[in-house]
Amino acid sequence: MAWKNIKYEVKDNIGWITLNRPQKLNAFNDALLRELDEILNQAEMDLEAKVLVFKGAGRAFSSGQDMSGIGTSEILHPDPWSRVTPKELLEGERRRQRRWEYIMNMAKPTIAQVHGYCLGAGLFLSMVCDITIASEDAIFGDQVTRMGILPTMPLWPWMVGMKKARELLFTGRNIPAKEAEAIGLVNKVVPASKLDEEVARWAHGIAQHHGDALAFAKDAINGVMECRGVGSAFRITTDLQMAVLQRPTKSEDLAFYELRDKKGLKAALEARDAPFKNFP
Amino acid sequence: MPTGFGWDFRTQYQKCQWENHEYKGRKYKDALYEKVSDNIARITLNRPERRNAFSDGMFNDLGAGLHEANDDPDVRVVIIRGAGTSFGSGHELSSPTEEESPPINPKLNPTGVDYYGLERRRCGKHEDIMNYPKIIIAQVHGYCIGASEIVAQMCDFVIAAEDTQFGVRGFGRFTFGIANWPGFWPGESQKAWCGHLLGEISGKEAADGGMITKAVPFAQLEEETMKWANIVCEMPPQILFFAKEWLNVIADISGISTAWRQHYAEHLMLQYVHFRPEEVSMYKVRRDIGLKGFITSRSAASTPDAEVK
Repeated sequence: MAWKNIKYEVKDNIGWITLNRPQKLNAFNDALLRELDEILNQAEMDLEAKVLVFKGAGRAFSSGQDMSGIGTSEILHPDPWSRVTPKELLEGERRRQRRWEYIMNMAKPTIAQVHGYCLGAGLFLSMVCDITIASEDAIFGDQVTRMGILPTMPLWPWMVGMKKARELLFTGRNIPAKEAEAIGLVNKVVPASKLDEEVARWAHGIAQHHGDALAFAKDAINGVMECRGVGSAFRITTDLQMAVLQRPTKSEDLAFYELRDKKGLKAALEARDAPFKNFP
Repeated sequence: MPTGFGWDFRTQYQKCQWENHEYKGRKYKDALYEKVSDNIARITLNRPERRNAFSDGMFNDLGAGLHEANDDPDVRVVIIRGAGTSFGSGHELSSPTEEESPPINPKLNPTGVDYYGLERRRCGKHEDIMNYPKIIIAQVHGYCIGASEIVAQMCDFVIAAEDTQFGVRGFGRFTFGIANWPGFWPGESQKAWCGHLLGEISGKEAADGGMITKAVPFAQLEEETMKWANIVCEMPPQILFFAKEWLNVIADISGISTAWRQHYAEHLMLQYVHFRPEEVSMYKVRRDIGLKGFITSRSAASTPDAEVK
């Protein structure tokens, strides 16, 4: 099967999954998602791939969901004016959520190798990976609350605690790699020139261990999180997002999608972030 | 003196605590309410001569202020701060016996139900602050101890002066259960745990540990707080309510409601403690050498080698 938006290669027991839309900063669209689903199926069953590494081609890990609205009906929730039944809305939200939960629960260790932008869905991918190693130039964040949508990654409070989760999600601010490391989003930060070597070192080191032991160790940790309710947290996230998407909008809400369709995605993103320009 | 506390309480499933306190025509005294701008309300805890220790009057004025801000459709964020040298030094331990702020005096001969009802009311206030539908920012300086620390932690953002003192030796924050620090809930890293829960920590240490939002030099505190308040005001209306509800639900799923109940029960059990002769008993020491003497002797008992200030 020839994949275009993702490259997959297994070498020395490491499965290298490279997001490959560099001209779009590896933004997730439906085509990329389809390929990702196929590759994950294959990678999960491939006993030769003991550790999976996710990385991005070009300048960034991933800038998140493709907000263009073109070929994005699976990755994005429906536009506010589209006539979608609540059932379709719920099913779409569930699929979006379950993918992250599935990656989190894959029976082999996963590493996110992050450089450049790691935003939105890109950040979700990094968060559901077991380990994240980033270069010093990496930037992490999720601006989705600025657009009036719930950030649909319930791992936030688990990973960074309630205070940092509130701070980052209620303001939508981006943070540099060192700050992400300090608050627990990232395991290690290295100079950009050392990133490939550092990730390879970790991946090969982990791959030395017996595959079953790795699978059980990971499952034990995820089992503890499950006891604490992470599965229910994914579920409630879907349900609350439904409430958010169906709420009556007010005139002071940013009309992001209207602006995008009239003036283009760049203008819409600028309007979204303009009030926060001076906020670090 | 009525001791039927247990029958008078309202649970969080009925009116929220702040809705019990009317604000129409109210003369705020122990906490002051003002609108800093159309979208920002500010409540100033106002017992500086007592380092803003929580009396019943202060809790009532705080509740009324939250009620007023909640009903004002223009208000998007509430700031809570303290007048004078501190944010707050906890519950007012010198309150009159009939008030609910200090521990119930055994002289009132309360039943277990009375104790539990009181704890539920006392902690219900804190829980209601955590579940408040609008964003609250705690602007913290000086002492932030005990119940004042809990109130600050219930807020969505905590902006503190770097030299703030959170907690006090002999009391810390581990004593009264996990609900004191939703700052780390449910992250619970080693960074936030154990050593940081026992004694005093500074604003800077709390920020470094991820337990508060940010620490700045005291001279910049007000400006920094307003900066965050203004950012919050730029966010789309309603979304922060849903985002806050979402995070609180996640905390609920992972057990925080049970932790609150454990907190009530723990407080209650502590009321029944029988002190051994060598242990520091608040009632006895406060009776013999006053409140200040009790606080000093408690600190000395917990860290006997430390210099007692």
